[in-house]
Amino acid sequence: MIDERMEIIGAEPVSTDCYRMTLQAHIGYADARPGQFVMVRIPDGLTPLLRRPFSIHRSRRLSASRTALEILYRVVGKGTRRLAGCRPGDRLDVLGPLGRGFSDPPASGPLFLAAGGMGVAPMVFLADRLCRDEKRRRDIRVFLGGRTAEELLCRDRFEELGLPVVLTTDDGSDGDQCLVTYPIEEQIRLIPPTMIYACGPPGMLSCIAGFADTYGIRVEVSIETLMACGLGACLACAVADRRDRQRYRHACLHGPVFDAREILLP
Amino acid sequence: MNDSPDLRVDIGGLVLKNPVMTASGTFGYGREFAELVDLQRLGAVVVKGLSLQPSMGNPPPRIAETACGMLNAIGLENVGVEAFVREKLPFLETLSVPVIVNIYGKTVEEYAELAGRLDSVEGVSAVEVNISCPNVKAGGVAFGVDPEAAYTVVREVRLRTARPLIVKLSPNVSDVTKIAEKAVDAGADALSLINTITGMAVDVERRRPKLANVTGGLSGPAVKPVALRMVWEVVKTVNVPVIGIGGIMTAEDALEFLITGAAAVEVGTANFVNPGATMDILDGIEAYLVKHGIEKVTDLIGTLEI
Ligand SMILES: Cc1cc2nc3c(=O)[nH]c(=O)nc-3n(C[C@H](O)[C@H](O)[C@H](O)COP(=O)(O)OP(=O)(O)OC[C@H]3O[C@@H](n4cnc5c(N)ncnc54)[C@H](O)[C@@H]3O)c2cc1C
Ligand SMILES: Cc1cc2nc3c(=O)[nH]c(=O)nc-3n(C[C@H](O)[C@H](O)[C@H](O)COP(=O)(O)O)c2cc1C
Ligand code: FES
Repeated sequence: MIDERMEIIGAEPVSTDCYRMTLQAHIGYADARPGQFVMVRIPDGLTPLLRRPFSIHRSRRLSASRTALEILYRVVGKGTRRLAGCRPGDRLDVLGPLGRGFSDPPASGPLFLAAGGMGVAPMVFLADRLCRDEKRRRDIRVFLGGRTAEELLCRDRFEELGLPVVLTTDDGSDGDQCLVTYPIEEQIRLIPPTMIYACGPPGMLSCIAGFADTYGIRVEVSIETLMACGLGACLACAVADRRDRQRYRHACLHGPVFDAREILLP
Repeated sequence: MNDSPDLRVDIGGLVLKNPVMTASGTFGYGREFAELVDLQRLGAVVVKGLSLQPSMGNPPPRIAETACGMLNAIGLENVGVEAFVREKLPFLETLSVPVIVNIYGKTVEEYAELAGRLDSVEGVSAVEVNISCPNVKAGGVAFGVDPEAAYTVVREVRLRTARPLIVKLSPNVSDVTKIAEKAVDAGADALSLINTITGMAVDVERRRPKLANVTGGLSGPAVKPVALRMVWEVVKTVNVPVIGIGGIMTAEDALEFLITGAAAVEVGTANFVNPGATMDILDGIEAYLVKHGIEKVTDLIGTLEI
């Protein structure tokens, strides 16, 4: 884990409010795990004060000593608005890689990757890594949900990897008009996966976490909480423990990826 | 090097190699920052507020960002004294840095018992008593806002500990010097201030408080002027060392406190924004002393001219 001032080497919009940013990072990021995150801050000034957490969207080796680190984000407030104003050549303070990422998949069987909205950000990295194992590629199925066609990001990235992608939208502007959890449940009945990896809005995650109980499938969810430090020091990122109601887990330390059976989703 | 200034300070019998410490609740148990900070260089580590029994803290959301600051209502979540001694202290003991244990309780008895328990633990250099907590036997009014309750709790802790005793004052009072005097009368070796300022924030879309606890404590750059003013009032009133806390982000901020009369500083929220803040502040203080030809940091402390 390091705190590094990184140069922005790419910044482009991917839809109306969403941007992809590429940073020149320490080689340590070559070993980052999908699901891990970074805490980002624009160096000058105190507004916003706190760093903002973002999942690692991709990490590629640039040279023997540098990695290209990508984040994918939606503008939702002060911090992300300022980020969207940054240009290649600008620098950001980036602390990472942080947290516990997704586990390695079980040795065999179908793997489902479920992403809702911005939840797609860590899933691209996960798909990249899983596809390093040529034999596993055909086990992977991607489910991508969004409110509208515009919200269905990164479909091309999964398709480049040769992965089948099932699309859903709330308004029917692309794919089936339903929640992404419908085709997932349908597929579970046909070809039960040995693992579901999920990231997305709380409602979607609760529903998919429910599949763990109903169908006895391993489910890992990547969740979002408010965070001040990302290091386990501030204790802002409390998540209710499902088995032990007398304690909280901490998303920056024990997560942000949790086994769905470990926690109570908000 | 010959001309490097002497940074040592004495906090009520505890000698620190420099005046830069971490503020309770913002630096975990030290280890969290081990990869980012040269912990050996710290004046002292003040650990997360500790209670007799483990405490799970408040439900989330626990923080809200505000203009140049943040509100927190963590609710003093901590592992409890036994797990601290067993699991957290051994790492801290590998460093040659004083460990100051911040303690709190819901009753006077809890504070006293905890202080007594820690008194037998080697590796604890000093105790910092957080008196900003609600006194359950007095209807939840914080110990730190009632001079008599403050006196009682500090006296009971004093009876149970031979370690340097620092009392951490709450800013949520109309006259902080009254509490400061009582704490010193009761046996405090040093005072630290400020703890967070009670505040609130509202989510206008949901028309709900941003914190599950409704109110929380404000910290960060926004509180620094208030903290400085209170430190100034207290150093004029008591003759024990005072530790300045509140919104210290840079060496210049720390120097303001030292010049005002603080014998040392604790760095809090800055650790979240810049994990290396304590190191930058330490370097900056040293550079300032060199630049101004000041040989000892103690020659700078309390040199405010009015
Ligand atoms: C582990 C993790 C990974 C994340 N990955 C991504 C990602 O890949 N892409 C992406 O677009 N977003 C991601 N988020 C959410 C992202 O951090 C927030 O959208 C962002 O902090 C909003 O900041 P703001 O200043 O624009 O919004 P504001 O609303 O102005 O922020 C105010 C405060 O709320 C916090 N906050 C607001 N929304 C969220 C949220 N959903 N989660 C956590 N904190 C929030 C901010 O950090 C800040 O402290 C992630 C969050 C976490 C915890
Ligand atoms: C997240 C958080 C947790 C804190 N926990 C404690 C605590 O356990 N005990 C305590 O005495 N003070 C606690 N504080 C108060 C700080 O130690 C400090 O007094 C205050 O934040 C002001 O300093 P700052 O502006 O530099 O942060 C906490 C502050 C924050 C932000
Ligand atoms: S974000 Fe600070 S402890 Fe998790």
